[in-house]
Amino acid sequence: MITDNPAAPAADGGRTSTCRIRLNGSDEQFDVARNDLLLLSAIGQGIDYPHNCRVGVCGRCKTRLLQGRISPMVDFALSPLTNEELKDGYILACQAKVRTDLLIDVQLGTQAILPVSMVASRVVRWRRLPGEVIDLRLQLESPLMFNAGQYVTIAASGSFVRRSYSICDAPPDPSGEGAREIGLMIKRLPGGEFSEWLFAEDRTGTRIWVEGPFGMMGIDDEPRDGLCVAGGTGLAPVLSIASDRLARHQATTFTIVLGLRSQQDAFADSYLEALQRLYPTRLRVLRILSHEPADSNWSGLRGLVTAALDDALGVDYRAVSAFVCGSLPMVEAVERVLLRQGVPASRIHADKFLPSR
Amino acid sequence: MLDYLKYTVSTVILAATTAGLWIGGVYVWLGLGVLLGVLGLDAFLKPDHSIRDQRYPWLYDAVVAFNMALGFALICQYAYLVGQDHFVTTSSAVGAFVTMMFVQFVVTAPALHEMFHRENTGLRWYGRIGQVLIFDPWREITHVVTHHMAVATPYDPDYARRGDTLYGHLFRTFRKQIVESYHLEKTMWTKRGRAWWDPRNGWVQRAAMLVGFTAILLACGGAYGALLAIGVCLLGPRLFLEVFNYCQHYGLVTGTPGRFEKRHTWNHLTPFVRILALEITNHAGHHEDSYKPFYGLIPDPTGPKQPQFLMCVLLAFVPPLWFMMIRPLLKHWDEHYATQQERELARAENLRAGWVDERIDQSSRFTLPPMAMAR
Repeated sequence: MITDNPAAPAADGGRTSTCRIRLNGSDEQFDVARNDLLLLSAIGQGIDYPHNCRVGVCGRCKTRLLQGRISPMVDFALSPLTNEELKDGYILACQAKVRTDLLIDVQLGTQAILPVSMVASRVVRWRRLPGEVIDLRLQLESPLMFNAGQYVTIAASGSFVRRSYSICDAPPDPSGEGAREIGLMIKRLPGGEFSEWLFAEDRTGTRIWVEGPFGMMGIDDEPRDGLCVAGGTGLAPVLSIASDRLARHQATTFTIVLGLRSQQDAFADSYLEALQRLYPTRLRVLRILSHEPADSNWSGLRGLVTAALDDALGVDYRAVSAFVCGSLPMVEAVERVLLRQGVPASRIHADKFLPSR
Repeated sequence: MLDYLKYTVSTVILAATTAGLWIGGVYVWLGLGVLLGVLGLDAFLKPDHSIRDQRYPWLYDAVVAFNMALGFALICQYAYLVGQDHFVTTSSAVGAFVTMMFVQFVVTAPALHEMFHRENTGLRWYGRIGQVLIFDPWREITHVVTHHMAVATPYDPDYARRGDTLYGHLFRTFRKQIVESYHLEKTMWTKRGRAWWDPRNGWVQRAAMLVGFTAILLACGGAYGALLAIGVCLLGPRLFLEVFNYCQHYGLVTGTPGRFEKRHTWNHLTPFVRILALEITNHAGHHEDSYKPFYGLIPDPTGPKQPQFLMCVLLAFVPPLWFMMIRPLLKHWDEHYATQQERELARAENLRAGWVDERIDQSSRFTLPPMAMAR
């Protein structure tokens, strides 16, 4: 990152092979080789540019282009950008080839990005959990460093089918060599190529390629109390974040609100109970069921996950960091409720996933 | 200056075709004869790794734009001559049709492809309109979005997997392209909150182009002239574009979809093929940056290469000969270009194709998962 002389344009009026990227309202700037993708180049330089999927799906690298010219790799109408955002000059940095010096509006993070690597692995645990979820544990041939809440893309050896899943483990010690194993929670998606294959039989011993880490849900957040809202296997990154922060910050407390369809889908009880045993006074877990039969013995909360986010939850919404993970509509609904309750937008960290068949 | 003149070889072929059709008789073969003569000569030439002069890029663009206009005039002329019963013998009628098919494929199709990839709005629209010459103005969207994003994976409709014959590929690729272009167009009009018939939608504008083009052909040559001209567009450049794709991407695999590396496409770098195809056979450079103009592409002397282009196209029509040619090349690619992950993909693809994989390490401790065979 260059911070000297922010007003200076790149040499030769922006026609050289390097383009200067300036950030609106800041003295931060960096250089990108002309024709390189904005996001890829930025994270390649270790710049904490907001991103998640890197392929134009999640919209996390949304950036407002104020000056200069980019070429989109795909029509932005095929991206998560809304029509209004398109009219307002928003682009996706992951799909933007830089053609000239740029002036952009985006909030950079403050931490170095971990390098992405491709690692071979083998399945060492394949366990069916309630709710048609597989607890998949991979032993890596080379260590992998990752941050809490990040995800990896996996593909069975010899297969073109790639899918992305969040790591549910706490991240490895940053001063060590990295994790030798990672755990994933994989929900069966009817008709889904990968999940149907995974569910068909015990895949222990299968060779899997792992690429990552990706995503940055809350990497740069300050230590403070956390409110986590997860839908189904959206719990995986939440477990990683809660485990990490509860271990690192002794004074923080966490509330996890987990949305499930019914008691039959309680796939994560063993994980949550283990975490509660470690932090009995600092971790609170609430389950809310959306499709539990009315005449069942369930005495807990009922309804959509947003129904739990009221004043009765006993959380100081203005003081917490919120971590939300689940399907796109669920995350968007939760974000709206959290904003209404007073959580600052900058402290809502969301990981939206779109099921892929 | 020679670099700029090189691309006028296409102009000469178009002019020869125009003159030959106009004279009629046996001369209808003139354009095809010149084209095959050039390609035949090319087969004996060494690969050309030179980089084009970059001082006057507008000159290149002017030549290509002129050639595309000539291609448009040529199809109108053909429709007109058919309408006038100019080709009186079966031989001349067949000769004119076949000549038009190949000249329009080799000379005109690369020009419109080059143009619709451009960032310059005028040139891009020129290329978009030029797609009427392949009678498929919708081809651009699946090409620019899906093909360039998913190259070397089965998610790319243009991609032929190991073991696929040309005939099976043609059947699958057209079906997949239609489904994909509908999906993409629908996504765009839905996102922008428009009705499917909204005149601002790309597909509606393209339909209008096609209607306009058909009307011009009808005006030039009546119903019969227009029919044969459309037949030329569909059986020539449109169909052969997919033959080209079949050859240029055949069997290569990527372990990093969406992140193209130079090893993920084949190249043909002989001098006249580079010139006639507007460097598209310098394929790695084009995929590396699809906005880069043809004269800016830098040949990769170390990249994966196939034999001369014309030979590959002809072999593709005879599957046993094609496999005889491509399997050793793929084996070499697996051993010298592929990453470990890609080798595992290649091995699965070989097994799926029913090919004996000589490279399988029998001491390997892992077995391929069934899903590797499924997709």
